[in-house]
Amino acid sequence: MLSIHRLTRVYGDKTVLDEVSFDVRPGRMTGFVGANGAGKTTTMRMIVGVLAPTSGEVHWHGAPLTTEQRRSFGYMPEERGLYPGQKVLDQLVFFGRLHGMTTAEAKERAQSLLARLGLTEREDDLLETLSLGNQQRVQIAASLVHRPSALILDEPFSGLDPLAVDAMVSLLRDEVTPEMPVLFSSHQLDLVERLCDDLVILSGGRLVAAGSVEELQSSQDERYRIRLADQADAGALREVPGLEVLDAEDSSALVRLTTLAPEKALVAAQAVAPVVEFARVVRPLSQIFREASA
Amino acid sequence: MSTPTRPAGLWRLIATREVTTRIRDKAFIGGTLFSVVLIIGVFVVTALVSGGPRSYDVAVVEAPSGVLEGTAAYLSVGEGEPAEVNAVEVDDTAAAEGAVRDGEADVALLPTADGFELVSEDGADEVLEAALRAAIAETVTATNAQAQDVDLEALVAGSEVTARELDPRAAEAGARSAVAFGFAIVFLLTAMGFGMAISQSVVREKESRVVEILAAAVPIRALLWGKIVGNTVLALGQVVILVAVSLIGLAVTGETGLLAGLSGAMAWYVVLFVLGFVSLAALWSVAGSLASKQEDLQSTTLPGQMLLFVPYFVSVLAGEGVRVVFSMLPIVSTMVMPGRIAEGDVPLWQIAVAIASTVVAAFVFVRLGERMFERTVLRTGGKLGYREALAIRE
Repeated sequence: MLSIHRLTRVYGDKTVLDEVSFDVRPGRMTGFVGANGAGKTTTMRMIVGVLAPTSGEVHWHGAPLTTEQRRSFGYMPEERGLYPGQKVLDQLVFFGRLHGMTTAEAKERAQSLLARLGLTEREDDLLETLSLGNQQRVQIAASLVHRPSALILDEPFSGLDPLAVDAMVSLLRDEVTPEMPVLFSSHQLDLVERLCDDLVILSGGRLVAAGSVEELQSSQDERYRIRLADQADAGALREVPGLEVLDAEDSSALVRLTTLAPEKALVAAQAVAPVVEFARVVRPLSQIFREASA
Repeated sequence: MSTPTRPAGLWRLIATREVTTRIRDKAFIGGTLFSVVLIIGVFVVTALVSGGPRSYDVAVVEAPSGVLEGTAAYLSVGEGEPAEVNAVEVDDTAAAEGAVRDGEADVALLPTADGFELVSEDGADEVLEAALRAAIAETVTATNAQAQDVDLEALVAGSEVTARELDPRAAEAGARSAVAFGFAIVFLLTAMGFGMAISQSVVREKESRVVEILAAAVPIRALLWGKIVGNTVLALGQVVILVAVSLIGLAVTGETGLLAGLSGAMAWYVVLFVLGFVSLAALWSVAGSLASKQEDLQSTTLPGQMLLFVPYFVSVLAGEGVRVVFSMLPIVSTMVMPGRIAEGDVPLWQIAVAIASTVVAAFVFVRLGERMFERTVLRTGGKLGYREALAIRE
């Protein structure tokens, strides 16, 4: 488990990250969302040690993270970073060796990653001759080459087409071991919703929500959509005790159950008019995000 | 996870990458080849202009006995290899003139009623003419003396002039100053060229953000040392090649005397070169880490350029006293001291001071550079100044 503990970063008199704490659980994908300038990249850079925190700590399995442990992480920086003029395979081997692999080990591992990303043919090409999407695949390979103990990926999917996203996601799913925490930031909330198990939301340098996606989605009262038959006026549902009509239009209403259990609510609604639809409304992440950041 | 590489091995990986990518770089290979060709060119031109065993062709209708041999003997005085004077036998005066015009002969030597006539296209080679005149005078005098029954030896007794050189090395003074100048300019250019390469390599890693990944994986100090070592090896390798080519050039062109006299200076040059280069290398790395894009290098590398150019001009233009002082100052010593050793004897203590001061400077610069590099290499957004960088507390 990777635990962020009251991490704070101050530039001059500007606090860009204010006592942020959250956990990144092993074997799960944790999505890291927040508006631009919320402090995501700052947090990630402090986790991998390229930026010193003003205060706060990063813990690994309950104890402060050591430099050695930190260097076993895999990191993909926001603005990317590889040698444009070096051959694809050569630089993956170089990064593997920096993490203590032998040349043979690193080469074997790099070639297997490239094969799974469909880049075997390009291994002897200079990085800069690859398309941006392919460069990004190499970038993810660079963060995985040394079999990292944790993954910190800053916007790993930005700029990728859906197919490339799928390829990268399936590679990540293969690579994430049950012991490995994965933290990735993204602007693409639909993608985060699809991929991640846990969610951390930052706003203006502060933590606004953290937890599993289900927890967050059901953290507030349950909401249901009720549609009545025969154009009956859904406004009549306001008379039913134990539920609150949030919005009613024609025969359809969005309600919040205050005291009623769902099955009781259905019976109560049936009493008003025949019900053709009774469905739980799962709030999309974008809504959680908007509410949280507001 | 494999066992982590000891930090001691990490700088080596970085250095190896610096070296291997650089020696595959076409511009780098081209530049080195160009320098080698330039040096060879200097030797070829020098040999063509001044050197080599001299050889002349003299057109004669009938070679006057002993004159050409005597001329060759005069021309060979003081030369490493004997000069040659060849007779080009022709039938008559017209043929002799033709041979000179066609370039088959350098001059024609034709008998006249009073003696000889020297025919050339547009003025004979002065050295050849002087030697011919002396040889003719000698042989004719000898013949006349015999005809007059005069004892020639008695006649010329007491007229012999011998030469004694007070400073036999003075003859090579020009060549030695040239070598001294060569030492200075080669260090200036190499330190500048490789220095800029270090700065560029750092700023390129900053621009491509690869430095983030590197910094997450290895200590920043290992990055700096890898760069310093890698580029020092490259610079030294290039200088060793250039020095070797120069030594071979001296040997081939027969300047063995000069060669023997310079070997000491060359050895000290290599020592001072490494020390001087390492002291500056840290500074060049910092110049790179202060910049955020290539264009910033123009201003961030200015201190490094000044540290090379100012002393260079002072050392070239200043008088002897200033040069003695400069030859003991760090970094500058690499440009001045080997030159002084090449030009004459330098007290050993002065060499010791030069080396000691450069070692101290290397230590201070690398320490300072390390601190500034660590603080600035991960900074993004905008160029930093040296004073700002020193003031950063992390």
